[in-house]
Amino acid sequence: MSETIRISIDGKVVDAAAGNSILHTRLQGEEALTANIGCMGQGVCGSCRCLVRKAGERSAETRLACETVVEDGMQVSFIDYYLPDHVHRYRPQDLRDGWQALPQLQQTFPEISQCRHCSGCDRACPRHIPVQQGIALANSGQLQAAAALFDACIMCNLCTLACPENIRPNHVGLYLRRAQAIQNLRPGDLLRRLEQQARGEMAINTLADNTRSEA
Amino acid sequence: MTSAIPYLQALSNLHAHAQPALRPADLSRSALLAQYHPDNADNASTLLQIGPSRGQPCHPRLAALLQSNALIDGFDLAGAEQRSTEVLVIGGGGAGAAAALTAARSGAEVILASKLRLGDSNTVMAEGGIQAALAANDSPQQHFDDAMRGGHQAANAQLLAQMASDAPGVIRWLIELGMHFDLEDPFTDGGKLRYKQAGGCSQPRILCYRDYTGLEMMRVLRETVELEPAITQLNRCPVVELLSHEDGSCAGAVLYDLEYQRFIVVSARQTILATGGCGRLHLQDFPTSNHYGATADGLVLAYRIGAGLRDMDAFQYHPTGVAWPQRLRGGLISEAARSGGALLVNGLGERFVEELAPRDVVTAAILRECAAGRGIERNGQIGVFLDTRQLGADLASRLPALQHLADKCGIDPSREPMLIYPTLHYQNGGVIIDGNGQTAVPGLLCAGEITGGIHGRNRLMGNALLDILAFGRRAGRQAARLAQAARHKSTLPPQRGGIEHVYRWQRQLALAGLDSSQQAPLLYPGDARLKLQRPTGPRV
Repeated sequence: MSETIRISIDGKVVDAAAGNSILHTRLQGEEALTANIGCMGQGVCGSCRCLVRKAGERSAETRLACETVVEDGMQVSFIDYYLPDHVHRYRPQDLRDGWQALPQLQQTFPEISQCRHCSGCDRACPRHIPVQQGIALANSGQLQAAAALFDACIMCNLCTLACPENIRPNHVGLYLRRAQAIQNLRPGDLLRRLEQQARGEMAINTLADNTRSEA
Repeated sequence: MTSAIPYLQALSNLHAHAQPALRPADLSRSALLAQYHPDNADNASTLLQIGPSRGQPCHPRLAALLQSNALIDGFDLAGAEQRSTEVLVIGGGGAGAAAALTAARSGAEVILASKLRLGDSNTVMAEGGIQAALAANDSPQQHFDDAMRGGHQAANAQLLAQMASDAPGVIRWLIELGMHFDLEDPFTDGGKLRYKQAGGCSQPRILCYRDYTGLEMMRVLRETVELEPAITQLNRCPVVELLSHEDGSCAGAVLYDLEYQRFIVVSARQTILATGGCGRLHLQDFPTSNHYGATADGLVLAYRIGAGLRDMDAFQYHPTGVAWPQRLRGGLISEAARSGGALLVNGLGERFVEELAPRDVVTAAILRECAAGRGIERNGQIGVFLDTRQLGADLASRLPALQHLADKCGIDPSREPMLIYPTLHYQNGGVIIDGNGQTAVPGLLCAGEITGGIHGRNRLMGNALLDILAFGRRAGRQAARLAQAARHKSTLPPQRGGIEHVYRWQRQLALAGLDSSQQAPLLYPGDARLKLQRPTGPRV
């Protein structure tokens, strides 16, 4: 595998080894990378989001650089992160009452009813989540089904960037998932253990002999 | 280069046995560790020459960073932007987020500074799960006993007992923030939690969310922090030095703002370091499962200002890192795979270790197989097989991260094995803290992987996610408490500190004859160094 490939990263042409990811290619540069880098290949952090246009193609796609293998003639442009000035504020304790779920969702994310069905979010998602369907389900009150679609979301915010209506779909998905856990998860074993501890039981004796044989 | 068995031959050896036999153990666990664990290699330890823990053993690559000069001098403080806060949290992983949230909810104003972005950390990459003793036949005592044994009786018993006792409360806190956990049965008993078995544990105690527990945890923590009005986030602001008062206490930190390429001096009543570990130093030249940011920055700064360290020669090499293909080398295959029944098989088609022995034992056993020529070679990469065929057909739904990784490797885990080799995973030692996360330096607290003592010399699966939250919350609460006590004494903003401790450190370097041209913290791994921009022109 000694074939040399040339790609351009943020306008700079670099040589890349076949089989390498865009991210590893970028790492071989002379400057310390200080952004758009994180989990180095696991694909869970979303830092290395970028636009990729393959040779001979007209359109660019959003990708994760750590999971995209280089191809000759690729053009890559990394997408900066910034702290948004527009966020939907809510507190976890506000989500406890499931009976208020629908009006609360509309109050917190008033834009979701404005979805234009342009599928920009679907095309942007590197995890292939049916984002637009999730927003449609949320609009129709099927909150559990909507939440389930965002199970594998890595919060790269690419759907948020793509949305012309400022819906911030991944944050809607996370909101719905959080509401579900906050309202429904009351494991009996956890309740019992917390109650035992509140009664002063279950204390730990740090001097107990715990030396089982380590043969 | 030791010899190894070619991949295709090893594959036919594997398929020759329906049930691979376990090779008889001819070495005790302690002998296995002594001979094959990377911590015990000849070149894996040196003695620190200066600083509060001088005379203590430490890995040489880390010692070089710990015993180096600062990145800045007094001039850099002069033109810097000034900020002040009650509590400054440095580090954007799970420990930092938990500390910042808890400090903010305790009524303190908080600045949370991170080198990359909030959430960019090893936490988001954690897969396996979090330990909490909830079963009727389990108890915090058994959790404590298992971890004490796993850590070779070296843990600080008080810290470990606190962590095991905090676990149920931590799980409740996570659920209250909106984190999900895997359920055996969602319809019974408020959701019946699934327990998984971890290596070195007397019974199943791991709670998880699929095999991306850390992602589920971190996305919830990050969102909560970002929506918390009392927390100011400073992304892409690595810490370059701490600040000290004349009495030696910590006065905040100097950050470097990458966006504007200038220094920021943050004066803080209390500073919490939650900067994680050092996997990206590639100790013993091992690959690492760690995040890009794991470069021991906080450790270097805490030591320079006077906090003691412990167990700096004890590291965890996770048994199952990807060995092939080369471009994914070091990537983590969660212990959840072995917990679910995956087997370790050498080139002769034999099992050679109990898959769920403590991690250090399994790692040493794998390295021994490779050293003895029973490893497997594929395209120049050496390792042993992780045979995942037993995991069953629902792999994609139960262990989606493993399925995703296998897809990237071009392997079908239901039909063929993965080639694995140990990968540098965790820093067992670190800064010495008390039960509230306080270090020996007043005004400086630490939480998470940067600390030492909780896990002794070998951590068990699921105790890192617990550690960062249990101690992140404790440190956050304590910092808020101390900051408010100081505010009651004086309503003036926190006093500005200086870098007198750096000058003291430089004298120690000179006295010991150490090279003061070496600068740390490293900030970014690899050979390329960040150039700190300074105003040009003569300094007047």
